[in-house]
Amino acid sequence: MVEEIQIGNQLNSEPVLSAENINFSYDNGYKVFENINIEAGKGKVIAIIGPSGIGKSTLLRILGGFLKPDSGDVKLMGRKLNMPIPEVALIHQSIVTFPWMTAEDNVKLAMKTKRMTGDQIEEKAKESLARVGLDGFEELYPKEMSGGMRQRVAIARAFAADPYVFLMDEPFAHLDELTAEGLRQDIYNILFSGETPLKSVILVSHNLTEVLELSDEIYILNGIPASVVGKVNVTMKRPRNPRNDEFNANLDMLYNYLTPPRKREEVKKK
Amino acid sequence: MNVLLLIILAVLATAGRVIGLVILSIITGWFLAYASIKSKFFENAYIIMIEIFESVPVITFFPIVLVIFIARIGGPLGVELAGDFLVFTAVVWNIWMGEYQAFKTVPNEMVEVAENSNFSLFQKLRYLYIPFSVPRIAANLFPSVSDGFFYITVSEVFVVGIHTYQSFGVGSVLNTFVANANNTAIEETLMVLAIVISIIVLILREFSRYAVSRYTLDNDAPILKRGRLNMKQTARAFSVLSKNPLSRLATYYKYREADKHEDKYEKTVKRKKYLKYVYASMGIIILALILYSSVSLIISVKSSEWYILFSKTPSLLVGLGYDYLRVGSILLVSMIIAIFLGYYLAVNKRAEYAGIPTIQIVSAYPAPIYFPFLFIFTEPFIFSIFGGFTNELYVLGLGFVSTFYYVLYSFWMGVKAMPSEYWEITKNLNMGFFKKMRKVVIPSTFPYLISGVSSTINSAWGGLMIGEYWPHIYGTHTLYVHTGLMKTIDLSTSSGNIALAAWGSLIFGIIVAIYSVMFTRKMMDLAQKKYVAEEGVYSA
Ligand SMILES: Nc1ncnc2c1ncn2[C@@H]1O[C@H](COP(=O)(O)OP(=O)(O)OP(=O)(O)O)[C@@H](O)[C@H]1O
Ligand SMILES: [Mg+2]
Repeated sequence: MVEEIQIGNQLNSEPVLSAENINFSYDNGYKVFENINIEAGKGKVIAIIGPSGIGKSTLLRILGGFLKPDSGDVKLMGRKLNMPIPEVALIHQSIVTFPWMTAEDNVKLAMKTKRMTGDQIEEKAKESLARVGLDGFEELYPKEMSGGMRQRVAIARAFAADPYVFLMDEPFAHLDELTAEGLRQDIYNILFSGETPLKSVILVSHNLTEVLELSDEIYILNGIPASVVGKVNVTMKRPRNPRNDEFNANLDMLYNYLTPPRKREEVKKK
Repeated sequence: MNVLLLIILAVLATAGRVIGLVILSIITGWFLAYASIKSKFFENAYIIMIEIFESVPVITFFPIVLVIFIARIGGPLGVELAGDFLVFTAVVWNIWMGEYQAFKTVPNEMVEVAENSNFSLFQKLRYLYIPFSVPRIAANLFPSVSDGFFYITVSEVFVVGIHTYQSFGVGSVLNTFVANANNTAIEETLMVLAIVISIIVLILREFSRYAVSRYTLDNDAPILKRGRLNMKQTARAFSVLSKNPLSRLATYYKYREADKHEDKYEKTVKRKKYLKYVYASMGIIILALILYSSVSLIISVKSSEWYILFSKTPSLLVGLGYDYLRVGSILLVSMIIAIFLGYYLAVNKRAEYAGIPTIQIVSAYPAPIYFPFLFIFTEPFIFSIFGGFTNELYVLGLGFVSTFYYVLYSFWMGVKAMPSEYWEITKNLNMGFFKKMRKVVIPSTFPYLISGVSSTINSAWGGLMIGEYWPHIYGTHTLYVHTGLMKTIDLSTSSGNIALAAWGSLIFGIIVAIYSVMFTRKMMDLAQKKYVAEEGVYSA
């Protein structure tokens, strides 16, 4: 049973990435998912939330083709996805940079298999780094950077692959609040700038403020095996300011919805 | 020819062999390691092979190897290859195991980044697996190189029956100088070797430092994830810590258990099915080769000879018993020295600064080279005190000098790796030296101690193999013990009784393999329960 509530008006659009009737067990027999359906529309940020250990990271890996579901399909713009491809870029929960490479070389990794000249790769790497605010830091090694900078390198690497979809697993969890806030806005701006092929973002987060700030739709996972137990559509106008009253009222609503005993009353649109 | 030039060339030839073979091990190891993370079947065959071979000092098989190489290839090339093969088997397991474990512990997230970009096999190796294995290789280089030097010098001159086989290098050149009693040349050779080994050791130290600073992961990726201690990761960290093959082998079992999830997880990701068959068939080939060589060896022995071999087995076992006693005493002395000296070095900055490189250089300097000279100078004195026990003492001494560094070095590392909180506790509680040792230092360095102990045991066998029967150690003097399996093997080799030598080695190999694998694994289990420290490993 999927419960839906609505915050604001819903807008329809064709799905970029979709998962249909996903069932998944790890090989030790632990069943993680039962009948998961998720759709990420064009220009949308989809958030996935749920308690720790419920399977959020697992779900992102399925959506990226890193894990094969037992049944059900993942589709990228209508075509079946059964292995990882650069068009669907995963940004990990733990920061993944290659310590033996400079920031720039880390970013270049994403383009190793593309038909590009050395110059094009170099230019693109610089551009991606600049996009996440790391211009001038190209030659630094990850060990010489802060956690926030390294996560930005990871994000720049994901950008450099020109993905259609970003799968982000707690991307801001390691960052201090200010850096995180800046990066959230950047990502959002990039998503809608039209300068890149990026069409959609799927975001896993524990941070409800972040979720409400960024997302258009929120999927709530719960249960063992996990399924989508709730979905929230957020249509607050953007840019959203986490410090204003409207935002906080909505945040309260979301909290109430998530914390048992739930307030079952329909949430009215603001 | 200018003698000094000859000496320099000989030393360089020897060093070149060691280094070349180490590099060969490294390169082959990468591909084998990759195959074993891709195919369970290959992995099992590969690990079994490493386990067996690394727990048996290959020098005991050398006569057979030599004979096979001479028979099949012949001439100087056969001798050269036989020597190289011996050294290869001395250095390779360490390195292969290290690379395998490195590949095995590449964080899944990094593999996913590579997959996300659709890396080809070579790209994965080049950008991910190989760099990731560099610190592990660096950690293994030092023991491998010093083992290599130890064995190469003895493999350069070898007597089987009436034949003496020589290949050009420091061992054979020195042999000639000794025969001609050319003392200046002997001294020069020892000096040049010392200089070259010092340079190599210092370069290796620099390389290790560089490898660690450049290639190890940043702290927040593995080991501790979000504050909770992850058993699997801890086991991995632990296996990174242990520098010695046997302990790593034992740890491998630990984390292979703990790692089951991971393995299966990997399997679901795997796509290129056909490669699996390629790797599996490589595994089958390895097993077949092992089987083939054992079978062909068994068939080549006549049935009457089998009878003799069997009837000699009880006395071989008695010899093995003696040898175990020898190994035990070497170990005991090494441990006592290691604990005091290692502790002293670890807590005393200035002593450490000079002491550790010195120990590394001395330990890389092959004992078989300098031991005869030590013998010449000290024998009259020792004999006047110990009389009939003198030879035994020297054999134990050779075993000791060729081996005690391992346990010393490991223990030192363990003390270095102790978290600073422990030191604060010992100060807080005002513990005396022995109490501190018993309650804090020994327990927290236990895994290191065990890994050092198993290395020491392994190399002690090499020392005994050389020492228990050493004809013409100087002049007409022959060093030998009364009873010992190594002596029997040596004697039968030099009298050309290859069947007996092979049989003795085989019995030895089986028992040592069983014993050391069981021993190390038991101790490792114990060590893991008490396991605490994880950082500061690479301070060397
Ligand atoms: N390789 C694996 N094999 C078996 N079970 C696994 C494996 N990886 C994860 N799990 C289990 O699957 C479940 C979901 O894990 P997952 O990492 O997807 O959770 P999560 O929702 O991302 O948690 P968190 O919020 O803490 O990141 C957990 O119970 C975990 O123990
Ligand atoms: Mg997660």
